[in-house]
Amino acid sequence: MIRRVTGAAAVAALLAGLTACGGSEEAAGSTTLTYWMFQDRTPQAAEVVEKIRTDFEKANPGVTVKIVKIPKDDYNTKLGSAVAAGTVPDVGILDQPLVARYALDKTIVEMPAGTVNEADYFEGALNTNRVDGKLYGLPVDHTAVALFYNKKLVPTPPKTWDELKQISDSIHKADPKIAGIVVPKGDGYGAWMFPGVVHGAGGEMVDEQNKKILFDQAPAVEALQLWVDLLPSSPREITDSDMAFANGLAGMMISGPWDVATIKDQFPELDFNVAPLPYKTQPAGNIGGENAVVFAKGKNADLAWKWLKFLTNSDNNTQLAQALGGFPINKAAAERDAASFGEQQQGFLEQLKVAHARPALPDWIKINDEYIAPAIEAALSGKMTSQQALTEAADKTRALLGWNS
Amino acid sequence: MASPVLADRPAVTPRPGRRRRPGVGRSDHLIGWLLITPALIYFVVFLLYPAVAALYYSFTDWNLRAPANWVGLANYTELLFNDVQFPHFWKSVQVTLQYTLIAVPLTLISALAQALLLNAIRRGSNLFRLLLFLPVVTAEAAVGAIWRWLYDPQYGLINAILGLFGIPKQNWLNTPELVIPALAFIAAWQCGISMIIYLAGLKGIPESIREAAIIDGAGPVQRFWKVIVPMLRPTTFYLIVTGTIAALQVFGLVYVIFSGGGGRSVTGGPEQSGLAYVLHIYLYAFRYDAMGAACAMSFLLLVLIMIVTALQFKFLKQEAS
Repeated sequence: MIRRVTGAAAVAALLAGLTACGGSEEAAGSTTLTYWMFQDRTPQAAEVVEKIRTDFEKANPGVTVKIVKIPKDDYNTKLGSAVAAGTVPDVGILDQPLVARYALDKTIVEMPAGTVNEADYFEGALNTNRVDGKLYGLPVDHTAVALFYNKKLVPTPPKTWDELKQISDSIHKADPKIAGIVVPKGDGYGAWMFPGVVHGAGGEMVDEQNKKILFDQAPAVEALQLWVDLLPSSPREITDSDMAFANGLAGMMISGPWDVATIKDQFPELDFNVAPLPYKTQPAGNIGGENAVVFAKGKNADLAWKWLKFLTNSDNNTQLAQALGGFPINKAAAERDAASFGEQQQGFLEQLKVAHARPALPDWIKINDEYIAPAIEAALSGKMTSQQALTEAADKTRALLGWNS
Repeated sequence: MASPVLADRPAVTPRPGRRRRPGVGRSDHLIGWLLITPALIYFVVFLLYPAVAALYYSFTDWNLRAPANWVGLANYTELLFNDVQFPHFWKSVQVTLQYTLIAVPLTLISALAQALLLNAIRRGSNLFRLLLFLPVVTAEAAVGAIWRWLYDPQYGLINAILGLFGIPKQNWLNTPELVIPALAFIAAWQCGISMIIYLAGLKGIPESIREAAIIDGAGPVQRFWKVIVPMLRPTTFYLIVTGTIAALQVFGLVYVIFSGGGGRSVTGGPEQSGLAYVLHIYLYAFRYDAMGAACAMSFLLLVLIMIVTALQFKFLKQEAS
């Protein structure tokens, strides 16, 4: 670790090293398509990706797909450096919240009309690629958070907010050492889950088209108040313990499919299942997952879109999504292969049907982390009311974006 | 992270008045240059160039992708005065200063205590030296995992020990007021390098002084305050300066403690109570798309470090007495 140089020097040195990687080369007489993706999670996942790659090459003679796999934690940094250095891949994975940024500074290209039939894809997942009404990529898989529940403490999962509060109360009353639910925190992660709850009250975070901030309106305030109301039956000193839900210290938690494998692996005795998030007026949830985009400075754009269609067609998408740890975004694939997902995964499949994309604003990550997360924290810690906290966050967001309402 | 690095001392002491030896000519110069070339290349490519480039980018709106546009001093003025654009900048300054004020003295006390113990024992000192040094060489991610568990509000060892004294359970890493002390305590646990330097300092105190003090009737407490502490002053000064510089740049520790696994974003703990300055730089550089502002922040940090260090040189006693 370099200690005596400033942080930026260290950071810049890192970048200098990274720009050396990447780039693409062309073999004589054939076309090479470079595709960047996250490092495989398992060896089996690598086999799935490899099979899809060879299938594509067989179907397209003379085409070689060169896949570059990059650890997820380094991916955005490497991609940013590649863009700065002009050594982008032809096509590659892009984090959902980055699509708007990359689209607006023209680092990626719009998908040509008629490339896909939009009805084949889940709307929420497709919308994560939409900026100003135009599609800039295709989702490869998607994922969401849903309600984990301990079957011993929660025989039937709550469907509505009222049921949720009631069950949480009764769990904690029955045994004060056990919390009702692990209430999300006011950090970037909690703020990412929050819109799913807001949509469940019929609300929206933002109206991009009319340049309106909506997360200080009633649905968002009620959503935050729900979390505040859950705290008395879900004390932090219990839920802040490591893996409180898996240890049986909390009846419920909100989390994603990545925790299913961890819990099954480390806590085989825990009898749990997953249900869609409780809602107030309509079922809804948030969305995450991997999108793929075509880079403006890359080559072979037509072939690149063909490759993305191939990854997301009904034949390949289930296997690919499972390899990536998510769920198919192709409706036909999801319906046909639902049975190939485990018991707990069914809850997520159900949840994803009502998933909402996050606002397509280039500054959304910052708004999420720097304004909304602290507002959630302020309300949960009792320093402000839900309304005060969200009003302040919304006003700051308006000032940042230069919006009037 | 609060462990300082060893000082680079000039390798050759200039001896004024001494004439150059016959036979030392141009070829020796050439060999000399050749020998330092690797170090020089490293310095220019990995330290000097990035630092100069970062200074340039601090005057631009660079976001890592699009070409950088010159914005003059805007990054600096916005950082200091615009709390919409940078709502947590001053919070990160406050957190870092608080952390430094607690972590540096705590580290020195713990290092000196360990060094005194090691210096006192006759047998097994190598073993204990190894054990006390282990926290320094332990991977940061493992340190984070271990301490998250030690600080666990339900099962944590720290709460269990405090419980023996009747102190109620604390939620260390989730209570804003407790986060900085909890982090500083980990830094003090990782004081191995300071401990080794103190140990060297202790070995450097002539035995005759200790004996003279005993003959004059000084007890252990008096010997500590009247002999050991004054004799160690140059060591202490060095450790304060390097420790402060390191503490102002704390990053890895905060990052692993609050990352918690699962690909979660690290936004600095409850109510930004652990938002260290360099973590704030990192977030703006790589998460919020504002490399230019991040570069400006790092230069403000450089200035702050230079001021603090200059003040220390001016106001702290450096000489042994």
